[in-house]
Amino acid sequence: MSRRYCIFLTALFCAFLAVFLVAGAVLPDREFSQIENRSLEQLPAPSLKTVLSGEFMSDFETYTTDQFPGRDAWVDLKARTERALGKQENNSVYFCKEDTLITRFETPDSELLSQNLSYVDQFAANAGVPVYFSLIPGAAEIWADRLPAGAPNASQKAVWDTAQSTLRNVLFADTYTPLSAHSGEDIYYRTDHHWTSLGAYYGYTGLMEAMGLTPVPLSEYTKTTVSEDFYGTIYSSSGVRWVKPDCIDTYVPDTGIRVVSHTYDSKGNPVEEERSLYDYSYLSVKDKYSMFLGGNQSLAVVTTPHTDAPKLLIVRDSYADSLVPFLTAHFSEIHLVDPRYYKLSLADYIAQNDIDQALVLYSVSNFCTDKNLVWITM
Amino acid sequence: MVFSSLYFLFLYLPVVLLVYYITPLKWRNAVLLFFNLIFYGWGEPVYILLMVFTIVLDYFAGLIVSRRKKQGDDRGAKLAVAVALVLNLAILFFFKYWDLVATTLQHAGVNMPVLNLTLPIGISFYTFQTMTYPVDIYRGDADVPKNLVSFGTFVTLFPQLIAGPIIKYKDLADQMNERTHSPEKFASGVQIFVIGLGKKVLLANNLGMLWDAYKALPAAELTVAGSWLGLLAFSLQLYFDFSGYSDMAMGMGRMLGFEFIENFNYPYISKSVTEFWRRWHMSLGTWFREYLYIPLGGNRVSKPRLIFNLLVVWAATGIWHGASWNFLIWGLYFAVILIAEKFFLAPLLQKLPAAVQHLYTLFLVLVSWAIFAVEDFAHMREYLAAMFGLAQGGLADGTFWYYLRSYGPTLLIAVLASVPLWAKLWKRLPRRAVQIVLPILVLAGLTFSTAYLVDSTYNPFLYFRF
Repeated sequence: MSRRYCIFLTALFCAFLAVFLVAGAVLPDREFSQIENRSLEQLPAPSLKTVLSGEFMSDFETYTTDQFPGRDAWVDLKARTERALGKQENNSVYFCKEDTLITRFETPDSELLSQNLSYVDQFAANAGVPVYFSLIPGAAEIWADRLPAGAPNASQKAVWDTAQSTLRNVLFADTYTPLSAHSGEDIYYRTDHHWTSLGAYYGYTGLMEAMGLTPVPLSEYTKTTVSEDFYGTIYSSSGVRWVKPDCIDTYVPDTGIRVVSHTYDSKGNPVEEERSLYDYSYLSVKDKYSMFLGGNQSLAVVTTPHTDAPKLLIVRDSYADSLVPFLTAHFSEIHLVDPRYYKLSLADYIAQNDIDQALVLYSVSNFCTDKNLVWITM
Repeated sequence: MVFSSLYFLFLYLPVVLLVYYITPLKWRNAVLLFFNLIFYGWGEPVYILLMVFTIVLDYFAGLIVSRRKKQGDDRGAKLAVAVALVLNLAILFFFKYWDLVATTLQHAGVNMPVLNLTLPIGISFYTFQTMTYPVDIYRGDADVPKNLVSFGTFVTLFPQLIAGPIIKYKDLADQMNERTHSPEKFASGVQIFVIGLGKKVLLANNLGMLWDAYKALPAAELTVAGSWLGLLAFSLQLYFDFSGYSDMAMGMGRMLGFEFIENFNYPYISKSVTEFWRRWHMSLGTWFREYLYIPLGGNRVSKPRLIFNLLVVWAATGIWHGASWNFLIWGLYFAVILIAEKFFLAPLLQKLPAAVQHLYTLFLVLVSWAIFAVEDFAHMREYLAAMFGLAQGGLADGTFWYYLRSYGPTLLIAVLASVPLWAKLWKRLPRRAVQIVLPILVLAGLTFSTAYLVDSTYNPFLYFRF
């Protein structure tokens, strides 16, 4: 190789490094990644303490990765390369049939699972009202036929079976059977880990059966498609950018229904925040599923026009957000508690608010990994 | 700090190169020493003190050895060498093997506290490197370094500080004082570096995910085919990870004007285990030969003594790889095979067809990786049992076919990349074609590696135990 050619090759290599070094320094840092639906690491400030402990270095490493120039395009390129190499998954998300993305369900930590189950049983023993319990199977279970052939995937049915054989103080509500009976329908989002409103309806029929109530027939509702370009959480984590977006549908009209979210201000005073069954403002951002009840909250109280109906308390994860619209036909008040944020005594709450019955409702995958359920025993 | 990270590639490396090249020649070692220490202290800053201690200790030990020799005091020189070696090994033992001994003795009822110290990164590599220094001075193979900075730079030289190659003092002593920088050297460094980066980020990390999936499977789900597939993935992961690191080291060395020794020479094409070890981690092999095996008497001893020497060398080689008993067994496993080859197997092997010789070697090496990679003895037994037909999950299952389909192309590329055919073809390519293809390959290697680093869920540093 001639000297000139070597200089060219040297310059090419140095230029590649320098371009991203300079771009990284010049381009403004992003606070939040819409496409990945998460906050990005900001430039850490070194101090003697954080440098000595290595905390600064580890934050700095995350910072360089999170703020790397053109990050979204790199993530896209990697996912496409993986697919081109014959991979059928990326970042633990399977590329499934019918343009569906499904996160692998890992074998649950059996210790954590039995601990969570025992918390539920303790809560049910002390609640003073009937406590229903259900675990919602995810797409990895009900849509297993869409997974790549032989793809490793733990059983969610086994988790439900374990719950049924160990819990003593709850009334079981089966959402597994109605969901699997309708597995051919759009009961889960293809790009998000939640069930769709339709899936929530079938889950609702399972709950109604356990509670001895008659569900409103689906035919009495009119389906309204409120969004046709929803890219959910699995889209975010997978790096897969070639699937088509999901639709979000609603069935139940929100007339006459009031939603109040209870939080605390910075001084610790209780604050009431008016919300709604459907918050359409979320449809203009990435996190569209939050249109149901306005997203995560510690405690929400949904009031319906059926004032003489009973009051229900739900200990829940985000799957309940899209289920609540269907429940409004049967209860006067629905109190929603998320133990990730609500750390007060539930037994007291039930007594003080004249709750008639309680429901513990989680998706299987959240229930197997949640570390906050201890709070429901307080 | 590790090479396969964005902050290394796009911040540390360009800054080091820039500052290095705008600094006048006589200050370049000092600049390197400064950056080396940042590189070293990045993960565990306190250990910079340990490093400085090691440098000062060895530097003065070498000076004493040299002075005693000049005074004709051979005993004094030998004593100084011995003291330096003992101190170096003591530091290595304390940080690396204390807990292993302590937990083992605790089982025997002896109360020795477990310290849970973080292993200083690269300690096994640089300790072996510094130990060559007083020996080489004593043997008259090299002169004492110009000054403390020059010696400190040798010990901490970032391209090969944490994962080799293990460079002997005598091989680098002259380059510390005088080395040439040229576009030719830099450009060849670029090529080797990008090959190494691709080996690590594109091949090794990918195959590592397959191995991790199989390593984590409970015995009940292991299949015969699956356990071999997992182990095949590991053997390729380790090769491409390790040789990728060595390539990156060599490449960056050249960019800074150094010339390092080769560390891997297509080990998986070997026709015997003896040959395998001449091609695998060569810098470690020559280290043990020159600084342990030959001092013990080497080949020129009685048969029983030779067997003893080989057992000692391979036990040491094994346990060098990590503070866990499985590494000792792994070393002794090779000792047995190498002794057998030396005494009677080699001539028999040579009479067999080449394909059989390759299969023999690959089989024994692959089995050795099961001992190497599965530290828990109970699980190691289950895994080996599965490989030899006693798999509880049967011959093959859906998971196996899923993984074979998913990783098949990557495995194929990796297998093809571990034979020397392509390097030979490349050399026969017309000059014009090389000139066109080379920059494309360099850019592609950098681009895809960057994409995999930006979205890296899996990027292990395999030598944290070495």
